[in-house]
Amino acid sequence: MAGVSRSAAPLPPVLAAPALTLLGPAQGPLPWPQLPLPLAGESVAAGFPSPADDYIDVGIDLNDTLIRHPSSTFFLRVSGDSMTGAGIQHGDLLVVDRSLEARPGQIVVAVLDGAFTLKRLVHHRGRLRLEAANSAYPPLELHQCGDVQIWGVAIHVIHSFSRHG
Amino acid sequence: MADALVLIDANNFYASCEQALDPALLGRPVVVLSNNDGCVVSRSSEARQLGIAMGRPYFQIAEQLAHHGVVVRSSNYALYGDMSQRLMSSLEPWVAELEVYSIDEAFARLPRPRGGDLSPWARELRSRIRQNLGLPIAIGIAPSKVLAKLANRIAKADSRHAGLFDLSRQADPDPWLEGTPVEELWGVGRRLGRWCRLRSIANARQLRDMASGELRAKAGVVGVRLQLELRGVSCLPLEEAPAAKRETCVSRSFSRPISELEDLRQAVASYVVRAAEKLRRQRQRAGRLTVFARTSPFAPNFFSRAAGVELPLASHDTAVLLQAALQLVPALHRPHRRFVKAGVLLQDLQPETQLQQHLLAPLPPEQQQRREALMACIDGLNRRYGTGTVQWAACGLQPDWAMRRQQLSRAATTRLDDLPTVWAR
Repeated sequence: MAGVSRSAAPLPPVLAAPALTLLGPAQGPLPWPQLPLPLAGESVAAGFPSPADDYIDVGIDLNDTLIRHPSSTFFLRVSGDSMTGAGIQHGDLLVVDRSLEARPGQIVVAVLDGAFTLKRLVHHRGRLRLEAANSAYPPLELHQCGDVQIWGVAIHVIHSFSRHG
Repeated sequence: MADALVLIDANNFYASCEQALDPALLGRPVVVLSNNDGCVVSRSSEARQLGIAMGRPYFQIAEQLAHHGVVVRSSNYALYGDMSQRLMSSLEPWVAELEVYSIDEAFARLPRPRGGDLSPWARELRSRIRQNLGLPIAIGIAPSKVLAKLANRIAKADSRHAGLFDLSRQADPDPWLEGTPVEELWGVGRRLGRWCRLRSIANARQLRDMASGELRAKAGVVGVRLQLELRGVSCLPLEEAPAAKRETCVSRSFSRPISELEDLRQAVASYVVRAAEKLRRQRQRAGRLTVFARTSPFAPNFFSRAAGVELPLASHDTAVLLQAALQLVPALHRPHRRFVKAGVLLQDLQPETQLQQHLLAPLPPEQQQRREALMACIDGLNRRYGTGTVQWAACGLQPDWAMRRQQLSRAATTRLDDLPTVWAR
């Protein structure tokens, strides 16, 4: 699993307006069942309480760990090999946060000709462009292609070693 | 300064959800069809501009839609339900209190900033929801819920408002109230609307200014509150926790008329299975079950029947409810009738916890617990691997009467196998 660097989310303007009351971040339910993995699972001999009992945690939930903004985070399936240089393979699961502002250096999902396209946003000679991470694919100059929308910022890619692992 | 009441809703919610998860639909006309691909229930703004009307039966306009290159979708409730949850939890940090009013609208309360201008807040919220979820929203701001709903309608009606309208900031609200027909007001039903028209009360301003006594005599305290709200006095509170449901109904139209008793049994059985799932999700049990079926009201010899039964012990056990429902089905059925719709209604709903031990309980407690565990297991499997993973034999296998959803998009946000593709090429 390769983590792609992610930037801090810009502060919602409501935080900056002192006259408004803020009630804590949204913790919406996640769209799939949660599967906590037990962190410590020692079998315990009967009779003596295990000294480790006090340290057993509830488990690791990858949703909690990987996703900071559940309501604006979407999963996409990668098709193609233009991003292999960034560790993203054909068939990988891409985790995309739409609430992050795209910055140069980040891997982004762009809408191009009615399809989701995966590229790295790069600052090149004073202009922004979208680059593949595979020399077989030429870069796209943003000022030359008419209508490109940055849909979201890739925050993780999940690569399974077996298709149904 | 008094708090502002706000109505936030998503424009063309179903069509917007389809566009949000499928980039090929951005900027293109999209319509979403009702259950069974019956008629148009949602239009993207592009489809609206083509003059496609709401509520038109699909078969009547299929050609027109194809001619204009309109994308047609069946209702995808998995997608809309998930996007609705995302929308509502995104709104929460932006307001002081939120009442989720329907799948695509919410009332909210928040204090006004110094100076009273909420438009920077509203503009920022709109652009955030647009970017984070891909959904366009409209925001109506006013001193009361009824007026917030009215303001929201104005925000949407005229593109010059850019999806946002604050009634309290208008020098004179009267022209806006006069532009709102009385029937369009939240809380004015068909009967009250007709009554108003008979008294030459045609718009919101006239209803606000009519004699209170007369309105009270007609509509009681509901009418008084409505009038107060129109005068800018907030008297309908936000309901943050929705009231527990009193009944649950599952009904569907068939893709083709059915006449055989066995087909009707299977249809009713599959609705009972859905209704029982809903009940367990709501943590409730039903004390009464009603099944109903009808033929087409547009065909000659219209026939409609309902049959109900009290359960000896309130239950949310699919097997118990199935047994009760299937005993009733022969009472609905008539040979040679062409049934087009059937359903099941669960009533007298009680919270799960209230169940009393009953002398006549059909099962001893330990067996009862095993049944509950079985239901939880089935629900878990169906949630995880998709509806219908574990089925009840009474529902039949691959029924050919099942709802028609020929243009269904994928469950792009809730099923791993249905995720949208991002191209690396």
